Amino acid sequence: MNTNQETFFETNDNSNLNNNSFGIRAKVIGVGGAGISLVDGLRFDNFDFVDNLIIDVDIKAVADSLASQKLTFGRRHTRGMGTGGDVNLGKRLAEEEKDKIRKELEGVDLVFLLAGLGGGVGGGAAPVVARLAREHGALVFAFTPLPFSWEKTRHAQAEECLSELRKHANAVIPLPNDSLLQMGGEDSTALECFAEAGRNVSRGIAAICNIVFKKGMIDVDFSYLRKVFSGRGGRTLFGYGKGSGKEGLREALRDLLVCPMLHMPDVSKAADILLIFIQGGTSLSMSGLQSVSKEIRDSFKAGEDVVFGAHVDENLGEEVKITILGVTSLDPLVPTADVAPVAQQVLELGKNAKQSHRSKLEITNTSPEKTSSMATRKKRGRNIDNKEQNTFFFMEAENQRGIFDDLPSRNMYEGEDLDVPSYLRRGVKIVI
Amino acid sequence: MSKIIGAVEIGTSCAKALVGEVTEGKSLNIVGKSVRKNEGMRKGEIVDFRKVASSVHAALEEAEKMSGTTVDSVYLAQTGAHIKGSFLRGSANVASPDGRVSVDDLQTAANEAKRKQPASGRSYVHHVRMPIQLDGRSVEDPVGMIGKKVELIYWSIEGDESAIRMNLDLAHNYGLEVADLILSSIASSTMVAGPDLRRAGVLVIDLGAGVTDLALYRNGNVAYTGVIPVGGDHLTGDLSMGLRVLEPYAEELKLEYGKAQSDPSDADQQLWIIGNKTIGDRKVPRKTMTDIIHVRVVELFEIISKELGDLLDTSELGAGVLLTGGASRLPGIEQLASKVLGVPVTKANFPSGLGNELAQPENSTVLGLLHYGLEDHGLPGEQHKAVSSGFIKKLGGLIGI
Repeated sequence: MNTNQETFFETNDNSNLNNNSFGIRAKVIGVGGAGISLVDGLRFDNFDFVDNLIIDVDIKAVADSLASQKLTFGRRHTRGMGTGGDVNLGKRLAEEEKDKIRKELEGVDLVFLLAGLGGGVGGGAAPVVARLAREHGALVFAFTPLPFSWEKTRHAQAEECLSELRKHANAVIPLPNDSLLQMGGEDSTALECFAEAGRNVSRGIAAICNIVFKKGMIDVDFSYLRKVFSGRGGRTLFGYGKGSGKEGLREALRDLLVCPMLHMPDVSKAADILLIFIQGGTSLSMSGLQSVSKEIRDSFKAGEDVVFGAHVDENLGEEVKITILGVTSLDPLVPTADVAPVAQQVLELGKNAKQSHRSKLEITNTSPEKTSSMATRKKRGRNIDNKEQNTFFFMEAENQRGIFDDLPSRNMYEGEDLDVPSYLRRGVKIVI
Repeated sequence: MSKIIGAVEIGTSCAKALVGEVTEGKSLNIVGKSVRKNEGMRKGEIVDFRKVASSVHAALEEAEKMSGTTVDSVYLAQTGAHIKGSFLRGSANVASPDGRVSVDDLQTAANEAKRKQPASGRSYVHHVRMPIQLDGRSVEDPVGMIGKKVELIYWSIEGDESAIRMNLDLAHNYGLEVADLILSSIASSTMVAGPDLRRAGVLVIDLGAGVTDLALYRNGNVAYTGVIPVGGDHLTGDLSMGLRVLEPYAEELKLEYGKAQSDPSDADQQLWIIGNKTIGDRKVPRKTMTDIIHVRVVELFEIISKELGDLLDTSELGAGVLLTGGASRLPGIEQLASKVLGVPVTKANFPSGLGNELAQPENSTVLGLLHYGLEDHGLPGEQHKAVSSGFIKKLGGLIGI
């Protein structure tokens, strides 16, 4: 993956795909400690055609980072030190200095928000940044590593922050450490697991940027991406697979379907909005792409909102890589003051029945434990009438509950959800 | 004269109905039985009332047809994660001037013990009486004995009112009277742990599909009951996610190849996920599958150990731990349980005389319902009301609803 990443960004550099030629500005924003390390990780992948911004209260952490743009806040309260994991403090400080953050978001169309939700700044400030970014009309994709479930309080806190973030971002891709540990070799360590998080973020960002910014076999433009992802994202699916040789495409598809990040029974694998990105060598055939894309659509029960991109990269030889990003559509995001005109036009042009009949979202303060009724959950975010929809929030853990996913309440015991497979919570590696 | 009694257990995987004929001398013949798949339940709780109702009613109908009689009242098993147990105490001073204990004194003490109402939305399922204390001594039947004070202790089990009501409604809708609601764990331990084992001290773990029921006996009396909302379905769920297969295939794999502890021979064994080697079938290492099950089983017994705390004392558990319930069929589970709990664990046996078909671990609750129902759990002097028309009706107060 890394090699691919590099080649992609190298070629990118050569052709100098200046964002401005499209008039679209993208920015990677890392919030909090984990966010900063993720941004720094990207930088080493020659990730420099998109602006990098890091935000934290910890002056030292910010100073040590290699990011091109830096912002510290909350100095008055913390004297440049961290928040000590206090989410409320992180949130309050970000709110207090939101004008400072706003300035950084001006004119940005696409935001990749990277934040570890277990921390005070990541968990508290990231939802604020997401909200501000959307107020500026940006499309927000958030990649959020989540603590291991044995880090009980932090895990619980991260889940709360996740549902908060989901209210504001267009798509949130949770990267639970539990699932990340399932990747890689049999004896992978926690460090490898964090590195895996970084690779996942790179894959996700690369897939989106490739489709939008780079010319390839099949592309879509930014307005289409914006149209498709304009809603509030519910559950997210994120996965990838690779294969090589004559049957490379098929092999990649098989690999995708058993990807540990798609660790859930087939019934839960439903995406109203699906982004598929396929990269391969010169042997990538149109008919192959067609049938594979159809199979992917079918396996994820995708509707009409599919963003499909395919690129030929000569350096890949016989290798084929597939990345998918799916979102179940909910109602529109918390209405914001100014939605970018282009998006608005597209929305109005394309008569989107899904959006048209929905009223404004009222935020309820229902805690995740008490929320959903059976009826709403059964429908898994599809065609739910508006009132019901507003009363529940999706949580990362629900992606991991498997066959118990449709039950109204979670099975909590000492801070762990017993319906989530033990091997995931205990960090036992499963090799299949 | 013989009586016809019925027992219904609405389990997470199956609804079971038994019809028993009690002939004189209290010998019990099972004359009708039926098991129906139940799809409306998860983890011991009803999620689809109509689905549950149809399987319960189908099971009852079949059992009645088989017995050639009709049942008027049944013993109904109750379980679920909402069930909690606690001790209730009540006492009374002996009223008569000559210091002889009368039936009324016992009634007064019983009323005092049961005076405490459960919180709103909760309801009593079951009161299990401990031996009567007369001036601090345990007495089987103190009526007529001389003393100052009688004390009654109940292990009282309460649960979520709406869940209990739904359970009762399932029987009522079939036109049946519920003679008594009995906690599943008490029913199954009645079946698999005889009086001598209970006196020696025993923990019965009933591993069901949806939940695991616990009952711990000390000196012949209930010392603890509990429900842990993890059961055999969790093994299936874990396999379905871990191996990325659909639930029915995961269930089949579990039943066919599941075991609690991996052994060296698993390392190079590969299993076909669907089994017919069609398109979409793939192989998984057997070790992977065993590992998934192993972690879950270990965790379950760790939770049991945590829940019991000090109660899990080898010196007080002379008869050790008995495993029953469908999930106790998992090979190697008793060795693993023994390792985690630190107490000898065996699979429970049934008393002889039961047919092979009935003497299966998943039937212990429904069989236990009949046996528990037959025993007299009332206060001394209280009428064990057996109405001559052929069904037993227990005192409403014992049900608590």
